[in-house]
Amino acid sequence: MSTLEQLKEQIRKALPDLDVVIGWEQGYDAMHATPLFIREEADIDRLIWSPLCVHSLGTYLTGLTKSSKVQKVGLVVKGCDSRAIVQLTQERMIPRENVTLFGVGCSGCLSHARLEYKVEQGGHYVEDMHAITFNGDKVEVAVDGGVESFDFDTVCLEKCLTCRFPNAIATEHFAGEEVPVAPKREKAPSLEAFEKLPLDERFAFWQDQMRRCVRCYACRNTCPMCVCRDHCISTSRNPHWVSQEASTAENFMFQMIHTMHLAGRCIECGECQRACPVDLPIMLFRRTMVHAVKDTFNYVSGADPEATPPLLTFKAEEDNINERGW
Amino acid sequence: MRIGVFVCHCGSNIAATVDCPSVAEAAKLFPDVVFATDTMYACSEPGQDGIIQAIKEHRLDGCVVASCSPRMHEPTFRRALERAGLNRYMLEMANIREHVSWIGKNKELNTGKATELVRIAAEKLRLNTPLFANQFDVTKRVLVIGGGVAGIQAALDCADAGIQVIMVERETSIGGKMAKLDKTFPTVDCSSCILGPKMVDVAQHPNITLYAASEVEEISGYVGNFDVKVRRKATYVNWASCTGCGLCMEKCPSKKSHDAFNEGVATTTAINIPFPQAIPKKAAINPEFCMKLQKGKCGVCAKVCPTKCIDFEQQDTIVSEKVGAIVAATGYDLFDWTVYGQYGAGRYPDVVTSLQYERMMNASGPTSGHIQRPSDGREPKRVVFIQCVGSRDKSVNRPYCSGFCCMYTAKQAVLTKDHIPDSDSYVFYMDIRSPGKGYDEFTRRAQEQYGVQYVRGRVSMVYPKGDVLVVRGADTLAGTQVEVEADLVVLAVGVEASKGAAHLAEKLRISYDQYGFFMESHPKLKPVETNTAGVYLAGCSQGPKDIPTSVGQGSAAAAKVLTLFAKDKLESDPQVSSVNQNRCVGCLKCTMTCPFGAIKDVKDRAGNTKAEVIETVCQGCGICTVTCPHGAIQLQHFTDNQILAEVNALCQPELEF
Repeated sequence: MSTLEQLKEQIRKALPDLDVVIGWEQGYDAMHATPLFIREEADIDRLIWSPLCVHSLGTYLTGLTKSSKVQKVGLVVKGCDSRAIVQLTQERMIPRENVTLFGVGCSGCLSHARLEYKVEQGGHYVEDMHAITFNGDKVEVAVDGGVESFDFDTVCLEKCLTCRFPNAIATEHFAGEEVPVAPKREKAPSLEAFEKLPLDERFAFWQDQMRRCVRCYACRNTCPMCVCRDHCISTSRNPHWVSQEASTAENFMFQMIHTMHLAGRCIECGECQRACPVDLPIMLFRRTMVHAVKDTFNYVSGADPEATPPLLTFKAEEDNINERGW
Repeated sequence: MRIGVFVCHCGSNIAATVDCPSVAEAAKLFPDVVFATDTMYACSEPGQDGIIQAIKEHRLDGCVVASCSPRMHEPTFRRALERAGLNRYMLEMANIREHVSWIGKNKELNTGKATELVRIAAEKLRLNTPLFANQFDVTKRVLVIGGGVAGIQAALDCADAGIQVIMVERETSIGGKMAKLDKTFPTVDCSSCILGPKMVDVAQHPNITLYAASEVEEISGYVGNFDVKVRRKATYVNWASCTGCGLCMEKCPSKKSHDAFNEGVATTTAINIPFPQAIPKKAAINPEFCMKLQKGKCGVCAKVCPTKCIDFEQQDTIVSEKVGAIVAATGYDLFDWTVYGQYGAGRYPDVVTSLQYERMMNASGPTSGHIQRPSDGREPKRVVFIQCVGSRDKSVNRPYCSGFCCMYTAKQAVLTKDHIPDSDSYVFYMDIRSPGKGYDEFTRRAQEQYGVQYVRGRVSMVYPKGDVLVVRGADTLAGTQVEVEADLVVLAVGVEASKGAAHLAEKLRISYDQYGFFMESHPKLKPVETNTAGVYLAGCSQGPKDIPTSVGQGSAAAAKVLTLFAKDKLESDPQVSSVNQNRCVGCLKCTMTCPFGAIKDVKDRAGNTKAEVIETVCQGCGICTVTCPHGAIQLQHFTDNQILAEVNALCQPELEF
């Protein structure tokens, strides 16, 4: 039985006890998947599982579990998605007992941005892509009557290159085989390249990028860890951290707030960058913070349901910060 | 809002390097400022009257006083505002003295900086709101940490006033360093004879609970309501039934144990009562040397004990106590004298420390009061004292004077003559420091009546020659080098903060200096207070002191405790966190990070979880406010918006006037 068939079977069995199960279905074209809300058995047939299933569905949880109409939620999760659930549980943001997770192993998701760039480089229009097949290490795209083939590693999401959690963790169900943990890169290539820049060039780089931010808040709205909902301080007057002024400085302030609020919480799902309509390299912020937290607290967020996140506790003396030399 | 600005000259303290009238002139242009003036001494009576008059005349809602540090005069100006009918929290201070005039000489730059600080204060004040204090109950019990003479005095004074006292002592007996001394200067009266009765009083006082062989494990809470956890270390003896008969000590076969009380002059038994006058007089086993605990064989003490109180299985226990105030009287330890390799300390047995010498002279010491050379037991005929070993020496990072070494050296030299009438004593000194009643007379008596030879100069080295030691040093008064052959060399070792003092300071949340001594609140005017309300200091934990000063400080700390306890209720500081329940999403991250347990979860009318601050428990540290991602919890008087207003005031481009 394929992973998808197993998954459908598990959902079919569990559905009577659940108000809704969220997975993915084929989207508006061959190239895209879109979230699927399974409410009755007939919906299950529309479920798909492929590298197109990029969305981190945990982002719906904090809202759904607060709704009076929904008590029990099922969720299909990849490795990275499941870390979001672990982190949300640690933070007591979701009633974990009301959530049923259907885990899968994932060998990487497609980066539409990278693929579209490659297709355009090949002299085609993105709109003319009409079919996509994932064939082991190869991705074949039917475009303009011909077929373009790419190495998967060149068109996958950057996070998949460094992925250490391909298999969903702490789930109730798991479909298919576990995928071996085999990160292809130690550090994200974009971060490696960025860290080679001298400080003044880094600053110039960010000034240029932040000038482009349109403050649409797509990065915030898609983030599974952004839980303040209507109370986000980037759109409040009291406290008034950020003004409406669309200047580089205010944009930067907003992005910094988002980064700081994800310290020790970001599970590197990359949804912020994927959702960004102007393709800001937001994951550079995230990864820098993730490395800082790892170095300072030796903590990987969303990896261990029993762990206490370092910024959710009080210690007079941090284990790794030896201020007094005792 | 109508704001008034008052720029203080502080005589010439500020006005010498800040153009105060032009700061006031510039302030008139800040938003909401309707009145600005400069004043000679804002804190003086006419200065305060000027503020009150301006508030009434110009119908001010709040004031900025640009003067000294708020540590100095914030209470003064808050009271002035209250006298004028305003809420005390409608005051902001701009520190243009410590932060400006005292640290910079350029008048133009200083004036600019002072103006900016006033602008910051005015911008914050625009967002200030009146705050009101709550009241809370006081637990009228006091914890005294350390059972030396300072702690004993503080404990007895409090207990006599009817306050319950918890005394925690690290060693198995109270008494501290004074209990080790033979005689005390300048009266040369027996140390344990005058301390002993006080120790007995501690043991017998109905208001004092003594935890010996115990340490403070954890302190939480705040002034009036501290929760203290005390670790009672395993002594392997059930103290409830131990009678202190000493039979176990007679029979214990492990006679080579380190004798901490006797400063290692001799060895003792593994099970041990440190000295005959010990309080409590209970035996304790040193597990490092006990054969039963080390090798599992022996148990002689358990066999001979008439009350069967030996318990080799005993574990540390933790007891919890609630107190309203804490006196830290942890005393001192000796500087590590072995770093002075040139004096042969630690290498030559006949080079001893002043405290070891004290034990050698003491009738209840290991030599029964007979001064003997540790190497061969011979009575020394010539004793050389070297002063300032670990005092006034930058090269060993001890630049301070230990204060009482000059006096005890003179005392020890006098006693040497008493013990061995045909002996000679030499003292190498830098300066003789003997301020105090009868002190200088005493050092003169040592020289004139007892013939102690005082040589002004430092010792360069001590080396053995046959069975004597040669002390080579400078005589700076004669301008020559001198060598003295000595049978015994006594090092007047300087003092440093007690071991672990810094760790305790962290638990108490009080400051300490680079040498580990606890910091008083003000070096002159608040010598026994700390910057943590409800925590007081006594004795050498604050800095080197002799016995009378330590006793005086013990009583002073007790007076502070009694002053605190004179009120049944204390006023809480309203500068605490507060939750905007409309914004709170009930994630309770604030409860997880709060070090004081000051935030609880409540349900609103719709049954949603919300956070709520317990005002009297909150200490206003602000950790919750940086934890809450959406700013639902705000520290009153330091809200996000107030701080942002300050930052914006400073970071805006120069205003164009």
